[in-house]
Amino acid sequence: MKKSAFNSKNRPAYVFLLPWLIGFFCLALGPILVSLFLSFTKYDMVSDPRWVGLAQYEYLFTRDARFVKSLQVTLTYVVLSVPAKLVFALMIAMVLDKGIRNIGIYRAIYYLPSLLGASIAIAILWRNIFDHSGVVNTILLYFGIEGPNWIANPKTSLYTLVILAMWQFGSPMLIFLAGLRGISSEYYEAAEIDGASKKRQFFAITLPLLAPVVFFNLILQTIESFKTFSSAFIISNGNGAPADSLLFFTIYLFNEAFKFFRMGYASALAWVLLVIISIFTAISFFTSKYWVYYENERD
Amino acid sequence: MTKINRRSFMKTAAATTGSVAAASLMGTTAFAQEMRIRHFWWGNPSRDERTFNVIDLFEANHSGAEVVGETVGWGDYWTKMATQTAGGNMADLVQMDYRYLFEYVRRGALLPLDDYFGSTLHLDDFDASALAGGMVDGKLYALNIGSNSQVCIFNTRMVEEAGADAEFDPINWTHDDLMRVGKAISASTPDGVFGTDDVSLQAVSWELWSRQNGRNFYNGDQVNGTAEDLISFWEFWKEMRDSGACPSADVTVGLLGSSMADAGLVTQKTAMSYMWSNQIVGVQSLSQDIVGAAMHAHKVGGEAGQFIKPSMFMALTRDSVNPELATTYMNDWVNDPAATAILGLERGIPASPTVRAALEPNFSPAEKVSVDYFTAIQDHVGELPEPPPKGAGEVQDAFERIATNVVLGNVSIEDGANAYITEAENILFRAQ
Repeated sequence: MKKSAFNSKNRPAYVFLLPWLIGFFCLALGPILVSLFLSFTKYDMVSDPRWVGLAQYEYLFTRDARFVKSLQVTLTYVVLSVPAKLVFALMIAMVLDKGIRNIGIYRAIYYLPSLLGASIAIAILWRNIFDHSGVVNTILLYFGIEGPNWIANPKTSLYTLVILAMWQFGSPMLIFLAGLRGISSEYYEAAEIDGASKKRQFFAITLPLLAPVVFFNLILQTIESFKTFSSAFIISNGNGAPADSLLFFTIYLFNEAFKFFRMGYASALAWVLLVIISIFTAISFFTSKYWVYYENERD
Repeated sequence: MTKINRRSFMKTAAATTGSVAAASLMGTTAFAQEMRIRHFWWGNPSRDERTFNVIDLFEANHSGAEVVGETVGWGDYWTKMATQTAGGNMADLVQMDYRYLFEYVRRGALLPLDDYFGSTLHLDDFDASALAGGMVDGKLYALNIGSNSQVCIFNTRMVEEAGADAEFDPINWTHDDLMRVGKAISASTPDGVFGTDDVSLQAVSWELWSRQNGRNFYNGDQVNGTAEDLISFWEFWKEMRDSGACPSADVTVGLLGSSMADAGLVTQKTAMSYMWSNQIVGVQSLSQDIVGAAMHAHKVGGEAGQFIKPSMFMALTRDSVNPELATTYMNDWVNDPAATAILGLERGIPASPTVRAALEPNFSPAEKVSVDYFTAIQDHVGELPEPPPKGAGEVQDAFERIATNVVLGNVSIEDGANAYITEAENILFRAQ
């Protein structure tokens, strides 16, 4: 059966999407297209853009060591922070799913860091926590360990941001929680009768039935991590310091655009980021059919 | 559970990434309102207060005139300026820095002030040398609103308490003196307090060191400094660290990008910090102890490293809606006794001898330190170097980055120095 995009089943969805669609077509689309154009030019915001063809992309892929470094930093961050955050979020969600009293309060409390996490204040707080004489080192001192300045050290700085990301587990947690609620208790009762251990229940029932939710969270968080900006911007003085160890792709892009006024080059970087995120998302979709199981999808 | 559709996801991805994508070309054009001009500067709380007071004064003296003041910090200033330039809505008057002046003039963003000499702008008695910094191709594009020089600001109490070992001549001292004084202060102060900040990460100090060795770091748009000089610079400061005259490397790296309020001198973690001389007044207001001003320590038998430069300019832009009114405002700014009294020395030493003489009786102690310092260094400074080439800001970032690895011991001094020179050359090549 052929489906029309606007059949009656889909219409409510489009109505709900409308504000976003209007925003996209009226506000975002123009700049997006202009940035594509600019990526083929040299443009410093003061003089007019000058067409240079593929030169920006050529430089980017063949000669730019900082571009490579920024990819390295960003990928390390994504690979470390996304699984860590999801595991943590799932753990908390499962605890909350056990029918704790006043669950609303806990949900709100655990969600709070997600709201605050991207804020400037938290980034500044983070700097202080991992400072030379910060909270972390004060605690370490009790155990006789004299800690370094975690953020000023290029070897450890990125991990402080991974911890910051983990701490913002709220939104995947809420989605996991909703997913857990959707799993019928009959499965667990049956497993209980068959004598399956809790561990077995988790791997044989919870995880497979939760797979679509895990998939959804995985994609969302991956995109989110690729786009990490504000906290890294504050913690790294806006330029990826110390020694480029926090040179996220977005930070590099921002510097190229608004510090060195290479708008053409920055636009090229933005499009490369789009392609990279698309590739990661495509990989997720491609592999999903092997590990994501939809309950209502009976063959 | 609803299945996530691949196509809808692509849309989301496109939109979210697009929002990261760079600037829109759109901008608004300033509406011509004849008696209303805009003044844009980078500031700090004290500077902003003084400037807004001058604006009030100007509006009171010129009925019908309105001045809109816009201020942001240095870090955001140039971004906003570039955006406004691209959008064709620059403020009538903008604060300019020596580093960016030529770039903006070359792109036609600023108007020469010569046309207003004698009519709205009166600069006849100004020091010619102070005005010279604002000239491009024989025309005055930017008016000096204060001069400054590099300075080592020190805590007079800590120096005094360190006794005879810490005695030094603040104008003529040498690197050996600096090491001796630094060690003496570290020894006489409590643990965790050191003689001096470590400037290994400061490009300004390194470029000054290069001049002491007879080379401006830049020559036109070429790198002129050498890896050998940089090696000697980093080795000297390593010796300073090893001898305990300055804090450990990770403390210094931790202070990267911090504000004046975090300087070692202000937090009393060191007795000396390195800044620009117009900041003496601001630092004193943040410090408990009385501060003194010294030159950067000299190289024995070397050349003058420091120079006097216009600390800031005021410039008239091509988007000005009323250049006559704007230059009238500019004139009051540098000549009107009431206005100059409000501004004081916060932006640097004024270029008009008349204004300087009028200010003198009312100097605060810190302003006195600042002026005495300025007078004392006149014969000990070298020529003002050419404005740094395009890309110099990026070279400074590279310096910070490589120096961080050097002081933390991740890269050897030799490798770091060679890498820096190569990278500086590449950046300049790409920027031209």
